[in-house]
Amino acid sequence: MRNYYKYLLILPGVLFLTIFMLVPIGMTIISTFFPNEAAADTSNYASLFRDSYFLEILWTTLRVSILTTIICMVIGFPTAYFIARMSAKMKALLLILTIFPLLTSPVVRSFSWMVIIGRNGLVNEALMGIGIIQEPLEILYTPTAVIIGLVHLFLPLTIITLVGVMESIESDLLTAAASLGASRFGVFTKVVLPLCVPGLVIGGILVFVGSFTAYTTPALLGGQQRVLSTLLYQNANTLNDWHMASILAAIMIVVTLIVITCMNLLANKLNPRR
Amino acid sequence: MSLFTLQDVTVAYQKQAILQDFNLSIGEGELVSLLGPSGCGKTTTLRLIAGFLQSKQGKFLFREKDYTKVPVNKRNFGFVFQNYALFPHMTVFDNVAFGLRQRKVSKASIKDRVLRVLDIASLKGFEERFPAALSGGQKQRVAIARALVIEPDLLLFDEPLSNLDANLRVNMRVEIRRIQQELGITTVYVSHDQEECFSISDKVAIMNKGIIEQLSDPATIYRQPKTKFVADFIGFKNFIQFDSRRQETDGIAATVQGITLTVQQQDNDTGLVGAIRPDDLRLYPLDAAPMTVENAVQGKVLISTYLGRSYQYEVKTSIGQFTVNDDAAAAPLANGQEVVLEIPKKQIVLVD
Ligand SMILES: Nc1ncnc2c1ncn2[C@@H]1O[C@H](COP(=O)(O)OP(=O)(O)O)[C@@H](O)[C@H]1O
Ligand SMILES: [Mg+2]
Repeated sequence: MRNYYKYLLILPGVLFLTIFMLVPIGMTIISTFFPNEAAADTSNYASLFRDSYFLEILWTTLRVSILTTIICMVIGFPTAYFIARMSAKMKALLLILTIFPLLTSPVVRSFSWMVIIGRNGLVNEALMGIGIIQEPLEILYTPTAVIIGLVHLFLPLTIITLVGVMESIESDLLTAAASLGASRFGVFTKVVLPLCVPGLVIGGILVFVGSFTAYTTPALLGGQQRVLSTLLYQNANTLNDWHMASILAAIMIVVTLIVITCMNLLANKLNPRR
Repeated sequence: MSLFTLQDVTVAYQKQAILQDFNLSIGEGELVSLLGPSGCGKTTTLRLIAGFLQSKQGKFLFREKDYTKVPVNKRNFGFVFQNYALFPHMTVFDNVAFGLRQRKVSKASIKDRVLRVLDIASLKGFEERFPAALSGGQKQRVAIARALVIEPDLLLFDEPLSNLDANLRVNMRVEIRRIQQELGITTVYVSHDQEECFSISDKVAIMNKGIIEQLSDPATIYRQPKTKFVADFIGFKNFIQFDSRRQETDGIAATVQGITLTVQQQDNDTGLVGAIRPDDLRLYPLDAAPMTVENAVQGKVLISTYLGRSYQYEVKTSIGQFTVNDDAAAAPLANGQEVVLEIPKKQIVLVD
């Protein structure tokens, strides 16, 4: 006998997501094709993708998100590997330290970065003080500043995700590899790394999507340099062009979906575990 | 000549010493089992030999060379883990080929050797499977094949059969013994299953709390345990703590609480504890006891249990309580019945 009752369990969730997510998103996307409630019209998309100002912002946003993702992975992976191999007590302590930055709001963190990397900030004062540079570096209000802020924001998430995956790797697998003749490096590349692929993908998606859609950090640290989310906000709230804002939102959703799909495909390729 | 020797080795986790001044020496081509209750340090000993953990003191000599500081990946020992530890992201072929690839063996030769060892392990046709798609017995054989293919100088097994069901266990242990003898690989085999160890080993080391209490061939251990622990572990359930013993012409006269029992000397043993298996004791109703009973002790049946092939009785006597397996099933003894207990003099082993 088939039992349909179990589906009742997911009904509330499905209803909630449908009413508050799928329907509004669908309506937003559909509305972008009907600028004046007349016939369908895609000329707005076409002209947007010929607009060099928009293309530059799209490119900047992608670049910032991709770089943030890569940096988070590169810094996060060894850190997570280190933490995962600690004793239980040490691990708990390090994990608490890791999530500590998450306890302050992005606004506060962005302001502190302004203090640190501003024209007369800590970094420039120090570098000029020891004579490495003569002129202050222009870091604040550039994509670099945004990347710094985003890495700070997403590194804890990356580390926690990766530690979780690494802990689930049986330690006997590592000893087994060593006893079969693998060096430390061999154990890492042949066993640890491949088994971490699922974690890297989940972490990568989290960081990329988070950075791609982040608003506060690029708004505060990016200055005149806009990204898609700040451009969207400007259209909606400052220019009151809700149609353009909807188009931007639709583009962000599509890019996000494409990236998630690509990363999943990549993960399946790298991780042939069946 | 011995292949390897552990010399006065001490291993400790944090402060707690698990092995203290531990010594073990194993000859070329032998299969030696470490047998003992859970937590007695068998795995620790095996991991020490493999190089997974370092000793605080002492030496590990392999073929007369000091191997104490040689790292795991340079030892060329095969290790078979209790939970197999197969690489889940690799096929059976790649799992088995792993060790050869580390050794930079040529591609053609890898294929050759892997297929040959898979054949030995009855795994032909499974090359492309992933571990998740294998049964417990098949995983076990992959683990053994993976350890064998590198032609190890020493093969180490840590309770390799404990996750398999009873039938498979018997088949696999015969397989392991066959392969080991065919290839002549020196092997250390850890288990807490007495039958398993006795059936496949050249020698068995009985361990207790980080100490080897006895190291002998299985038959010797079975007949002549040296210590009370060993005797207890291999099924001598009855112990008599004698007060004194003296040599007589027909054996040893051992005395307990005024009662003197005759023990037929087996070896030059010095112990004062008499150990007897439940199967070796005999019971007679008090009024029907023959005149020739050896070492007769009067007692009373406390509990009787039906075991199928025999009855098991708990018998209380003036020199302690005894467990007796008696297959005179025709007329079982009743609880509370007065009996004569016969302790055959040949069956008493004096242990420390
Ligand atoms: N990593 C460890 N840390 C602390 N104590 C351990 C560790 N591993 C084993 N022990 C202790 O060492 C003793 C021996 O363990 P082990 O060698 O695994 O026993 P066996 O394999 O005979 O069951 C046990 O008392 C166990 O609790
Ligand atoms: Mg163990």
